Amino acid sequence: MALDSLDPRVNRLDISEDSLSTLVAKGNLDQFETYEAFVQVKDSKPFEHVGPVHAPNEEMAFLFAKEQYSRRGMFCNALCVIKTENIKASHFTDNGQDVYDTLHTEASGEEKESFELFHLMKRGKQHKYAGHVMARDYDDALAAAKTLYQGVKPVFNIWVVKSEDILSTDEEDRDIWETLKEKQYREAIDYRAQDKIKAFKEAQSAQA
Amino acid sequence: MYGGGNVFETMKATALGDEDPVKLAEFEARIDRGEKIEPTDWMPQLYRKQLIRMIEQHAHSEIIGALPEGTWITRAPGFKRKLALMAKVQDEVGHGQLLYSAAETLGKSRESMLDDLVSGKSKYSNIFNYPAFTWADSCFISWLVDAGAIVNQVANSKGSYGPYCRALERICAEESFHLKYGHHCVIHLATGTKKQREMMQAAVNRWWAPMMHFFGPSDKISVHSEILMRWKVKMASNDACRQQFLDMYVPKIWELGLTIPDDKLQKNPETGEWEFTEPDWDEFKRVINGDGPCNKERLAVRKIAEERGRWVRKALLAPKSKYVTPLA
Repeated sequence: MALDSLDPRVNRLDISEDSLSTLVAKGNLDQFETYEAFVQVKDSKPFEHVGPVHAPNEEMAFLFAKEQYSRRGMFCNALCVIKTENIKASHFTDNGQDVYDTLHTEASGEEKESFELFHLMKRGKQHKYAGHVMARDYDDALAAAKTLYQGVKPVFNIWVVKSEDILSTDEEDRDIWETLKEKQYREAIDYRAQDKIKAFKEAQSAQA
Repeated sequence: MYGGGNVFETMKATALGDEDPVKLAEFEARIDRGEKIEPTDWMPQLYRKQLIRMIEQHAHSEIIGALPEGTWITRAPGFKRKLALMAKVQDEVGHGQLLYSAAETLGKSRESMLDDLVSGKSKYSNIFNYPAFTWADSCFISWLVDAGAIVNQVANSKGSYGPYCRALERICAEESFHLKYGHHCVIHLATGTKKQREMMQAAVNRWWAPMMHFFGPSDKISVHSEILMRWKVKMASNDACRQQFLDMYVPKIWELGLTIPDDKLQKNPETGEWEFTEPDWDEFKRVINGDGPCNKERLAVRKIAEERGRWVRKALLAPKSKYVTPLA
């Protein structure tokens, strides 16, 4: 028997009940990889982690991230995605201890590869872009970052990424955000209605 | 969009007995200091389990909740309403994505959550098992079901699990558009022609009972909810959320000249609490357990999407790629 719905689109799917019994559960990890997305809201602000997306490849991850994390708000300056697997996270520290203070290896000074660093400055918040170093490998990048980017405020967790593993918007891509301003209908401010309520109440009391 | 009245797992009295007491004390001290718990932190099994269940139910509610409203996109009155409703439904599905990722950081994969939704093993908000007969139903959902969801979500965004709180903050920011848009739609009908007013009133009459069910049965303090509240998993009782909703929205419904189908509904001037006819909890249980007007259809649509979209997923999957849990 076909499913009968109020929704004409559902009726057009022509779902018969016995066709539904055949669905097999997927394997636990039968799914797309995850990518972490970072957004820069303004020129003066650093890139900030906004959250993950699932995607079959980097380009799709970028598109999903654009839809998920920048479809709203008046401004977005730039967006980048990094495959989760390619982000090396340091351990977390506690009680105001700076994660850099727990690192004791000397930087090698080798400038083999380019790395980018993201700092977590407050528990519960998100990682922000901190800077760039040249180093031999991920651990070496942390050691090199210690001299360059350890500040007064403690850092609780650090993410290290190879620069080549980042897919980012280019300067000339900026016009992809231009449409945000045209989409006023997505903002609460476009739905003012107090005047209508007031007029309605006045008409009601005039009748009574 | 999402309902309260989460179905939490029944707890055994010994559930905490196997946990390391030192780590447990540190964990509780962190929560007491108002700090967030992050995915890599130690946490009791029970905390992990209840959070997965709660966030997962919330995520399912978002994507199933998109269905009754999605029904009305093609028939929404005018281009502007169509655009807005489309944007809203896109938001809801986006919220689902954010929440699945947050739940995933606790160790359950997104696809296994979707499997559990389709097999009926895990639940979603009961209110979406009711049909949206007219455009006015869709307006009711956009305004008042979302309003109820906001009451819940704002409370939960102050909880203890970092990834869930961050997802909720993004979600709440977007919900403010839903709420204003929904209110705008309802005002338009309620202050319109006689026919429009009747349509709106009929929708309020149809949706009031499910709306009262939305926050879940009364949860008098039990050992169960006490520990979940101490760990800031559950932030407000079902009754408190329902009271807050009534307090904020009943006056706004009344000011539009609409009536609410419950003669006992009134605010007790002495206690400041709302009094109402006790909702029919047998019906609530019956519908949650599968026997509602739309349960079958909602799951069927989800299943058919899985089934007919399978080849696309398969074509896109890179079999050699390694899956890594999202970081935060």
